[in-house]
Amino acid sequence: MGVEVQGVRRAFGDVLAVDDITLSAQPGEVTALVGPNGSGKTTLLLMLATLLAPHQGSIRIDGLDPVSQPREVRARIGWMPDGFGTWDALTVREVLHTIAAAYNLPADRARARTEELLTLVHLDDLGDRRARVLSRGQKQRLGLARALVNDPSVLLLDEPASGLDPRSRIELRDVLRSLASEGRTVLVSSHILTELQEVADRAVIVARGRTLETQRLDADFVTTALAAWRVDALDPERLTAWLADHHVPARRVGGGQTEVQVAGEENAARLLADLVRDGVRVTAFTPSQGALESAYLAATEDRR
Amino acid sequence: MSWHGIRTVAALELRQRLRTSKWPLVLGAWFLLVALVTFLAYYATHDQSFRSGQAMYDVVIFFVLGLAMLIVPSLTATSVNGDREHGVLATLQTTLLTHWDLALGKLVAAWAISLAFLVAALPFLAWAWFEGGVSAARIALSLVVLVLVLAVVGTLGLMFSTLTARPVASAVLTYLTMGALVFGTAIGFALSAFLVTDTEARTVYGLPDSWWQEHQPPPLDPNDPNLTAEQREQLSKSQLQPTRADCVRFTRNGTVAHTERIWWMLPLNPFVVVADAAPSEPRPQDAYSSAFTPMRWISAGARMARNGPEEVVDECQLSTGTSADGSPGVDPMEKALGTAPVWPYGLGFLLLVGAGSAAVAGERLRTPIRRLPNGTRIA
Repeated sequence: MGVEVQGVRRAFGDVLAVDDITLSAQPGEVTALVGPNGSGKTTLLLMLATLLAPHQGSIRIDGLDPVSQPREVRARIGWMPDGFGTWDALTVREVLHTIAAAYNLPADRARARTEELLTLVHLDDLGDRRARVLSRGQKQRLGLARALVNDPSVLLLDEPASGLDPRSRIELRDVLRSLASEGRTVLVSSHILTELQEVADRAVIVARGRTLETQRLDADFVTTALAAWRVDALDPERLTAWLADHHVPARRVGGGQTEVQVAGEENAARLLADLVRDGVRVTAFTPSQGALESAYLAATEDRR
Repeated sequence: MSWHGIRTVAALELRQRLRTSKWPLVLGAWFLLVALVTFLAYYATHDQSFRSGQAMYDVVIFFVLGLAMLIVPSLTATSVNGDREHGVLATLQTTLLTHWDLALGKLVAAWAISLAFLVAALPFLAWAWFEGGVSAARIALSLVVLVLVLAVVGTLGLMFSTLTARPVASAVLTYLTMGALVFGTAIGFALSAFLVTDTEARTVYGLPDSWWQEHQPPPLDPNDPNLTAEQREQLSKSQLQPTRADCVRFTRNGTVAHTERIWWMLPLNPFVVVADAAPSEPRPQDAYSSAFTPMRWISAGARMARNGPEEVVDECQLSTGTSADGSPGVDPMEKALGTAPVWPYGLGFLLLVGAGSAAVAGERLRTPIRRLPNGTRIA
């Protein structure tokens, strides 16, 4: 169940958008799809959303094939595209009513569902406004509501956080977590890695249309993965010398700070203790990148 | 495909149209234009001695058809690729709506709007009816044909909007197709008429050339008192008019246009279809009246072209001024109008084109897409 993608390939003319992607997203989990621009994330989501047929490989959504059983798959998925438009002339409520009608929901059921969703994405007070006057972030939230109309068991979200203000992002995170905890499969693509690390259970890193690695983002990963920490001391020369003596990989970054690569929180704590013990007067010691960000940068390093 | 799905799409389309574009304004302008043309037609053709209903009717119907063929393509010609550009098509394609729901829903919406234009023109057709000379059945028949022609035009636009990535391209293609149907068929017919025109021997029923030689006036002065009886007879013979008894069959070489080989181009033209479906009735009292009845002329012309040249050219009537039974002869136009109509062919062709376009449009909206044409966006 959930989403199973096996060796999928899709080309547009002679442009190979997706070369070989394999991933699996489990029910009850939030799976993050991360990768540089043009790495095939959106194309993959189009194939999962029954819009595009893969040239090779197989896709199963809740065990169903989107190519041969698109209707059954559509009843189960909610898709939120990246950079979608909306029917400008319709009000927010009418947009959701129309989508509900497109899912064959009876009118009274459609109205009730619309109100539920407007409350969920905090658009209740904008329900009678034209969709055109919504800000980008509000449109994103309307897009999420639209993807949830049919109560889908699989959610496919393409860059849902782009354009959202910080508060809306936190709310989106909570919404995604609660959707996953209800047993749904949530597949979300994003660039905002720190956000993803907090919400995702698993990250699939893709680049140039290929799966590079699949990373579990549980407590084990956070405590053991390589991460960057920023260190500042009253006497930076002394700090640099100490790090050099102890063969800690470090580099100078902006603001006179030093960035070190440490594998896992255990090692970071030990490094700080050693610095303090040896009399380096440390004034700051903070994680600069999440573990996911480090993993992502390491995996996609060949692009630079 | 379900009625519920089609209705959902059509309601969405109509609601957007009513709110975004200035349809009340366009409809108002349309109403005024048709009103203006009707008034002008009324004043131009109004006469104490005969009723002007037919001329008004012809002018209004043709004007409505011409203007509607300009407006209706704009309803559908950018429908699908415009939605793609705005990123609103894919969100419907991932719901339970089928590709047929989308295609037919859009068509129903465009059709409903074109019907609104027709309804706005109805008062003027009613006026033509009150003026007289036009039967209600004729109005009904030409309206039915008009509605079907407009549906076909809308479907053509929808098909092109699924075929090209850019709305401009599909709009241009749709109007080019309209142009080909309206002007292309007429030009094609006129130009290819030269290809089927040839000099050949034809049977003629009429006065032989020898008749005129025999009846040459002799070089005599009729007032000359010294004329012989033979000469007087010669003179009176030359003043005789030819009668039917003088007509004979003979063969003569002449140019013949075999329009029966190319007539099929004419009924492809929507104007010919509408005109031929309900040509004006002739005025019973004077068959040769010169009232302005373009639909009748087009209809007769198309049927004559279909009938082709006659087996025997009857010149007798022209040269003797009488027909076989002595009554004034039959107008060839009248005769052509008595033959079978050509509009069923044209309407059949247009409906086939419409059905084909709808099938293409529906197929092009099917997802998941296997082959994506260059430059087409999905979402």
